[in-house]
Amino acid sequence: MSRGKRIAGALAIPAGVLIVCMLISMSCGVSLFGSPLSRITFVRAGANVLLVTFALSINLNSGRFDFSIGSAALLSSVISSMITLKLNAGPVVMLILSVVIGGILGLLSGFVYVTVKLPPIIVSLGMALFYEGMAFTLTGGHGVSFASNTALLGFGTVTNYLLISAAALILMIAVFDHTSFGYEYKALVSGQKVAVNTGIREVPNALICYLIAGALMGAQGFISATNNGAITMSLNFGSISPMFMAFLPMFIGGFIGRYTSDKVGYLLGALTSATISLTYIRLDIPSSTQQIVSALLMVTFLIYLNNEGKLKQLLKH
Amino acid sequence: MMKSLRKFLVLQLSLMMALCLGACSGGGSGQAEDPSAKTVKIGVLVSDTTSAEALAFRSYYEDYIKSVYNVEFMFSDELKDAAAEQSAIDNFIANNCQGIISMASADRPAQIEKCESEKIYYAVATGTLTDEQYETYKGYEYYVGAIGPDLSIEYQTGYDMAKYFLDQGYTKFGMFTGASVYFTEMHIYRAAGMLAAMCDAGNGTYNGVTGMDIVGKIMADGGEVTTGKIGSIELNGVVSGYDFDDAWFGKLAAVANDPEVEVLLAVGSGQVTFAGFKPEGKMLGDIDCYTADSVGLMEAGTLNYLAGKFSASIGPIFAATLSAAYGKPIRTSEGNAFALSQGYWVAKDAETAKKYYEVDSSVTDPAYSKEQLDTLIGASYDDFAKFVSAYSFDEIKK
Repeated sequence: MSRGKRIAGALAIPAGVLIVCMLISMSCGVSLFGSPLSRITFVRAGANVLLVTFALSINLNSGRFDFSIGSAALLSSVISSMITLKLNAGPVVMLILSVVIGGILGLLSGFVYVTVKLPPIIVSLGMALFYEGMAFTLTGGHGVSFASNTALLGFGTVTNYLLISAAALILMIAVFDHTSFGYEYKALVSGQKVAVNTGIREVPNALICYLIAGALMGAQGFISATNNGAITMSLNFGSISPMFMAFLPMFIGGFIGRYTSDKVGYLLGALTSATISLTYIRLDIPSSTQQIVSALLMVTFLIYLNNEGKLKQLLKH
Repeated sequence: MMKSLRKFLVLQLSLMMALCLGACSGGGSGQAEDPSAKTVKIGVLVSDTTSAEALAFRSYYEDYIKSVYNVEFMFSDELKDAAAEQSAIDNFIANNCQGIISMASADRPAQIEKCESEKIYYAVATGTLTDEQYETYKGYEYYVGAIGPDLSIEYQTGYDMAKYFLDQGYTKFGMFTGASVYFTEMHIYRAAGMLAAMCDAGNGTYNGVTGMDIVGKIMADGGEVTTGKIGSIELNGVVSGYDFDDAWFGKLAAVANDPEVEVLLAVGSGQVTFAGFKPEGKMLGDIDCYTADSVGLMEAGTLNYLAGKFSASIGPIFAATLSAAYGKPIRTSEGNAFALSQGYWVAKDAETAKKYYEVDSSVTDPAYSKEQLDTLIGASYDDFAKFVSAYSFDEIKK
């Protein structure tokens, strides 16, 4: 495939969505990126979705559905914010703590999975409940509030969100595309049995995957918490929902991955999702309508992916 | 030998009979068994387990009431629908609960019917029945009654909050209408009250209606409140629902930072929705409860008005349920279950909020202590109603 074709293929969906959203906004007399707040909102949404998409995809590509990632983000942000507030420290300390604690929680999930050898869905549901309960107990159910802490809330700038997104992208490309671990990971994704027979050790590989996914969710928890200065509690799997925002960008990213790296695909998928979110905000679309539109977009895209061959044949005729 | 053994047995039997008779006569001498000697099990239905308000209510029952009364509480999980409520009641029945206090409202008629058929006392806390529901169930033997802010109080609370800011000359507003889009009446009435105050202050109408008619207008619009001019007052931003996604947070930030918004009004959860996004200089009013965080926000100037339920407000309904379990139900003069209303404590400055919170969060000397609640067990309806209606901070702490 030529370079030009690859670039066009990779940018077709995000650029197409951007143009459509801008046209709709303009027709309503609204500028999509008209204010600094819109730009922050767009970049923050992109960073949020990117981190969740990376975290979800790492294990999902290996057939491990991890429902505990949202709860790991919740618990890591609770612990990191409590420590940060106690130390009267700044956002950088909180970010580092969130990433480290998220990584530890991810590793713990992975350790439980490889130890008990139950299906990952069951293990991750159990871990989700455990982490939600831990967060609830640590805060007495009240969550953490720092809505008046300007230092922590002040972290939310375009530059900072871009830096986090770039760091996550570089980490993912470096670890999964340029290390022996990454090659082993790909071998396990392609054919677990064959890979194990060639001497690749599946357990350490899985543990590192959980560790990285947890660390990424730690960063996502940090962004969510410092966005509005409050961490509200979730029980009975309430923390699972953030995971679902990653599905559309993951499918889009998977499609774009044909033309470029899947990591860049996820980034473009996240930006597509952020564009749609920004359009909802700028046009003041009610949440019920948002849900219908989002569901329709995802179903349409899945229908397209499943019938791509037939569509191409039809177009040829 | 046999003779003396027979004599001994006769003597023993006589002694036993005498002791039995003595015991029986003791029981019949007017000293009734103390009902408080036996532990009363009470089930509590909750639709929310994580909000500050729900935690404060639970703490009052578990940390205070349980320590001073011979009662045991069983709390349900977070109940999201009528089926979950029925299942929780079944669980309470299986655990021999004698009474149920409900803070879940997915299907109150079904809850009442179930408790009546199972002969378990049932009471509504922090809410009331609709007039039609009350007429239907007021005569049920096991329906104890309801205490909570009725919908007119919710409306008035919203009205008073908006008026507070309108009286200061503010004319540009933003609103968070919470669960109005899920048709939660409490939030619709609070929002309607706020809009009605704007109509009165701005000499205008909200989409052609004023006053209580706004409730119907919001209902007809699917629980949505729309932006626009209300006479000389401007409603320039509205956020609803609890989506917790990027678009929702983005909308909250957009309304909070809109230069055309001076005051942010929340029907609830204002401290976790607008507070973090609100730039300095803008006003924020909320209807919620008193927590350490809300006091902190008021001290920082982030929150400027708080109408809050106090956790001990569920004390009287507990006393009424316990009284019924002791065989002394509190009924109106017509022999019906009671329906009483109780409102909010309003703080307009940090000092007042702090004072309210200190009392509200105390597990040793709460707003309603055992000594006060004891007066309600077996009380007449009039005394009970008088006690409940005197709910302001100053009246309670007098």
